[in-house]
Amino acid sequence: MNALIEFREVCKYYEMGGETIAAADHISMQIRQGEFVAIVGQSGSGKSTCMNIIGCLDVPSAGTCLLDGRDVGRMSRNELAEIRNEKLGFIFQQYNLLPKLTLLENVEVPLMYAGVPRAERRERAKIALELVGLGEKLRHRPSQLSGGQQQRASVARALVGEPAVILADEPTGALDSRTSREVLKLLQRLNRAGNTVVLITHDNSIAVQAQRIIRLEDGRVIYDGDARAPEALVTPNSAGEGDGA
Amino acid sequence: MSFSETFSMSLQNIWSSKTRTFLTMLGIIIGVTAVIVIVGLGSGMERYMADSFSSMGTNILTVQVLGRGSSRSVSADDMYAIVGENPGLLSAVSPTVKMSGTVKVGTETVDSAAVTGVSEEYFDMCGYEIAQGRGLQYVDIQERKNVCVIGAYTAGTYYGGSAVGETIRVGGVKLTIVGVMAQESEEPEEGGTDDCVYLPYSTAARLSKTGSIGSYAFTITDENQAGAAKEAVEDSLYAVFRDTNAYMVVSMTEMLEMMTGMIGMVVGVLALIAGISLLVGGIGIMNIMLVSVTERTREIGIRKALGAKESSILRQFVTEAAVTSALGGILGILLGCALSTAATLLITALTDTPLTVSPTLPSILLAFTISAAVGITFGYLPAKKAARLNPIDALRYD
Repeated sequence: MNALIEFREVCKYYEMGGETIAAADHISMQIRQGEFVAIVGQSGSGKSTCMNIIGCLDVPSAGTCLLDGRDVGRMSRNELAEIRNEKLGFIFQQYNLLPKLTLLENVEVPLMYAGVPRAERRERAKIALELVGLGEKLRHRPSQLSGGQQQRASVARALVGEPAVILADEPTGALDSRTSREVLKLLQRLNRAGNTVVLITHDNSIAVQAQRIIRLEDGRVIYDGDARAPEALVTPNSAGEGDGA
Repeated sequence: MSFSETFSMSLQNIWSSKTRTFLTMLGIIIGVTAVIVIVGLGSGMERYMADSFSSMGTNILTVQVLGRGSSRSVSADDMYAIVGENPGLLSAVSPTVKMSGTVKVGTETVDSAAVTGVSEEYFDMCGYEIAQGRGLQYVDIQERKNVCVIGAYTAGTYYGGSAVGETIRVGGVKLTIVGVMAQESEEPEEGGTDDCVYLPYSTAARLSKTGSIGSYAFTITDENQAGAAKEAVEDSLYAVFRDTNAYMVVSMTEMLEMMTGMIGMVVGVLALIAGISLLVGGIGIMNIMLVSVTERTREIGIRKALGAKESSILRQFVTEAAVTSALGGILGILLGCALSTAATLLITALTDTPLTVSPTLPSILLAFTISAAVGITFGYLPAKKAARLNPIDALRYD
């Protein structure tokens, strides 16, 4: 199977106080169609940089990132916007729904930028919201909903455009454990239905819900493999202290 | 994303912060209102001026003969000859001899009445009607009779309305009143058109002891040919005097144009000053839009992450500024129309002048166009800033 996302020696450098910091240091990896991958790492490990590059919000300083065979690094800002719109569905930690819009309107936003006609947009947004169990709350505003409901609405927004990749950045970071499980179940269900899901998290207990874990540290990949393998949960630092899980 | 969608989105945003939007619009509202009222006032004044002039007769050409030494002069007959030579341009002429002698009715002095010596044709030329008695006749002129026709105000005030047959003294000479003119102006007043005494020009010339008559009024056949008529009279006078300083020909139409031009200039300057507040209003819009962009940084980040291109964000913010400004323009137009009506009522009530302040269509269209343009112009910079935001930074913004 062809790789949907492919990193070839991807590097990202930042200038900080005259010092160059490598947030991504020659990262190579492949994510295939239909996978459920968790990118795990502590803060500063480079996982946010990875997610920004996968999400076409940023481009590598060196190396190549191919998304569906196309080189993201060579695209103009406009092309990146198009790719984000067509190929990617974002789920954020803070839900990031637009507060002045109803749920239906929120879910319509990606379709609006894709130029889908109003009536069709409405219909598809409704279906997406029903899929995440919010069919009764179409006219509600985000502030009228619980955190879990808001996050489910943002899942609906992520999948409404039928993207190639659903990119979830700490999707459970602001939720309690029960609603976290709900959202993860939803992501697993979407994955079983054929969606490629990339989950970015620092939390091992969340990461194990994926099929595969890519663990980063200091901008490098230190583990890439099955989520159920014991090594997947061990970071070299914490291994020394003996509290891996 | 279609324009109508961008438009309804900006309306939604504007509606969700009504107070702020209204305050932002205020500069534009005031500017547009001021422009509309000032231009309306100007056009009202122009119309009022044109009306007053046409009641004086825009078809009248006034000629002052100053003469050159004593060697050459023109007589009333020469002037009649000029009319005869230019039948296509000029229709009639009358000398107009202004008299400065004291006017007395019995023992009462009348200072305000204008005393003028004219020909029998003068009343027709000016469109004056005789209400009682008769007008001046050729025989009055020829025989230099001591008769006169007086205005409605003079007759009403000093003779209680029945003036025919009574006498009036001008410079010590007793004149018999043979006719009273119909009321000319809407509100007769002291010193106005209806406060006057007209006597035969020959009598006037005799009484004031002027050898040759110095001023004449011509009527022109076609007001649109005022220029040509004026030239014809000037040519004829030049043929006599060979000196352009010896005479002066003024057409009422020309004077009206001059006055109108002056009013136009004053109104233009005032409107320009009012227009400055549109500029200030535009700066206000820019300021608020810049604040709004900062406040909505996160929204912009989200929209960009969801696939909004720079052009979409730019369009959204420019549209919002333009809609804000255009709405302000519409409110300003409504307010301007209301204030114009109020001003008309006020002016009429306070000054008895039939001056109407009516907003003109061009000024309304111009005000609207300018206000929308101001929004687009001053909205562009904040919109550009919004469009250029880096999505990663914008998403992280609190």
